[in-house]
Amino acid sequence: MDYRMTCKEVIKTMDKSHRVTPDRRMKSQSPPRLPSDERRWMTAPRLSGILGAAVLLITVTLLARNLHELLPENVSILLFLMIVLVCAAAFGFWVGIASALGAIAAFNLLFLEPHFTLHVAKPQDLITLALFLLAAGLTGFLAGRLREQVDAANGRAAALEVISQLSAELAGADNAEDAIRVALRHLHGLAQGPVLALMPQDGNLRPLAALPAGYVPEASDLDAADIAFRRGRAELASAKGWSGSRLSFYPLAGETGRGPGPGPARGPVLGHARLSPDRSDREWREQAIEVVLGQAEQALQRLALTERAEAERRRAASEETRAALLASLSHDLRTPLSTILGAVTTLRELGATLPADSQTDLLEAIEEESQRLARYVEKLLQVTRLQAGIAVQMTWVDAGDAAQSAVQRARRAWPKARILAEVEPLPMIRAEAGLLEQALFNLVENAVKYTSGPIRVTGAVEGAEVVLKVIDSGKGLPPSLAEWIASDETTGAPQGVPQGMGLGLPICKGIARALGGRLTAGRSASGGAVLAIRLPVPPASE
Amino acid sequence: MRDRDLILIVDDEPQIQRFLGHALVAAGYDTCTAGNGAEALAQIAAQEPDLVILDLGLPDMNGKEVIERLRLRSDLPVIVLSAHDQEMEKIMALDLGANDFVAKPFGIGELLARLRASLRPRRATRPEVIRQGGLVIDLGAHLVSRDGETLRLTPKEFDLLAALAANGGRVMTHHKLLQLVWGPAHVDDVPYLRVFIGQLRQKLEPDPAKPALILTEPGVGYRWAQPEESPP
Repeated sequence: MDYRMTCKEVIKTMDKSHRVTPDRRMKSQSPPRLPSDERRWMTAPRLSGILGAAVLLITVTLLARNLHELLPENVSILLFLMIVLVCAAAFGFWVGIASALGAIAAFNLLFLEPHFTLHVAKPQDLITLALFLLAAGLTGFLAGRLREQVDAANGRAAALEVISQLSAELAGADNAEDAIRVALRHLHGLAQGPVLALMPQDGNLRPLAALPAGYVPEASDLDAADIAFRRGRAELASAKGWSGSRLSFYPLAGETGRGPGPGPARGPVLGHARLSPDRSDREWREQAIEVVLGQAEQALQRLALTERAEAERRRAASEETRAALLASLSHDLRTPLSTILGAVTTLRELGATLPADSQTDLLEAIEEESQRLARYVEKLLQVTRLQAGIAVQMTWVDAGDAAQSAVQRARRAWPKARILAEVEPLPMIRAEAGLLEQALFNLVENAVKYTSGPIRVTGAVEGAEVVLKVIDSGKGLPPSLAEWIASDETTGAPQGVPQGMGLGLPICKGIARALGGRLTAGRSASGGAVLAIRLPVPPASE
Repeated sequence: MRDRDLILIVDDEPQIQRFLGHALVAAGYDTCTAGNGAEALAQIAAQEPDLVILDLGLPDMNGKEVIERLRLRSDLPVIVLSAHDQEMEKIMALDLGANDFVAKPFGIGELLARLRASLRPRRATRPEVIRQGGLVIDLGAHLVSRDGETLRLTPKEFDLLAALAANGGRVMTHHKLLQLVWGPAHVDDVPYLRVFIGQLRQKLEPDPAKPALILTEPGVGYRWAQPEESPP
């Protein structure tokens, strides 16, 4: 199996987002370089190999020389052959060939007539020589192949380990910079030299991170990265002795939908030090680097997609709440208007036939609905004001007074409701009295509208906060509403809120925040909803 | 037979029920009320009202559903109360069989006029000849004349006029008119209808630019303007 396939399969199993984009380095760039079956067995001999072969050869030569009298000639030749095989197997093809030549030379010098010359008298000795060379070459070749397979297997295992680790870490990255840093760390491990990551910012590149720590990118590095960024293709490191960056830079596709090819890339750029061409493990390192780059790209695209999906979801949700708010607003405004217009036209057109108490009732309805309308308009103005971000006029306010006045107003608005005020003496706080009263009034209004039974308005100090609570005797808030209150959203009401609640709670939340505090929701001992406005007590008022 | 028509008011807003109650009683009707769709259907079965005033935004089911269920067993006139953001629902309600609509907020006069127009056919059989101002439409003889002068109408124009005038005072949706005059295959050919309405106005209206007989209900359909009868 091809190494690349292995990596790809690992990616497939580990990274479900592999469908997002094909990795251009894997597919569309230069044809894949296969592991060097043809070359590895011929790799240049190492010094240790040559020395080892020499030592072995000398040892055997001395041995054969000394035991010359005891051993038959063909045993000596077998000894030499064995040494050739050992050298070829242990040190590779070239050392094997060299040791074969050496062994023939030694054998010739010591054992063939005329002794101590390299002259070959008999033609059959030439055949011996040829057989030695053949045996050495074949063994060296086979051993080289074997070693190469072992190398490849080790490399593959190492690459897989790096990749699986990378996959896991990339999956955990929750933003582009994290993903890039993860990729960079693995790149550093693979390239075993300086690596550099640059992020695009306003159409230019900005260095994000470099390894090893303290590596300062040179101007040539930045230039090369910029070229890779602008052209959207890899900028390879220049060779030794040439000017230019020592790092190869690869632009990553930042956004999905940007295929490979020319044109400026919009994603980050990663650079790594050129791998020394004579490293024996260069193959798998290069391949693993490609996988790292591809994986990083996929991770970035997955993150971009996630981000876009999240933004889309937020937009849809805010549109939904806005639509719900608008619907409830239009209902809230239209109902009193309908009543007023209907009652007025009834009085005018049918007044003559209306009994006196009907006329009175209609007039009362008009009055009530006008007040209701006035309250909505007041709320609308406050929403507008809060949304426009007009500065709040903070003064020293007695929170207890604000609570009492909200209760008074609520009692006037709903004479039948039982509204109890249980307000302790409270320290002065910084607030805008009108806003605070309105927020409390809105909470009481919700309680009046959506629950029956007594409503308690309490004021107390809890820690460093003044806490004004409206406690009703209903069944508690729907979970979605409680969740919304705890959330950071201020733009609109959550789903599933009864009509008419559309404005009240967002206003309370907005006011509480504008005053530097917060709105919280809870449950009373009897199960009713507890809505609390919590405002900080300034140190000076203690 | 009751001597006063019984009107069922279906609205979840008590304030609306309150003023409608006073107004309808003063206008000579009896009223009963329902706060949601289920209650409305129960009241219709129990009280057998002569007409239903139905708010489209009910808490338990939407107005369309009430009409759909109602139309399964009765052709009781229904007047829909709608808000401007319920345009589609309103049209669907009308196509499902609601007789007319009044947009909120409304003056009581408008509602009472719609009420009378929708109640009328239940009391009188359809007239063969419609007279209005100088206009005479003889539905049996397929003749139209103004101030004694016969007007030339194509058969389709006459059918369209007949469909409108026979339902005087009530809104006719595009859908309904197209189906009545051109058949079910043409219910979406609204531009076609518009052309014919234009031709009719040219022939009938004293000032075709300011139609006084065939009134447009934007986005919904057309209404034959009918001079108000004196209230019962």
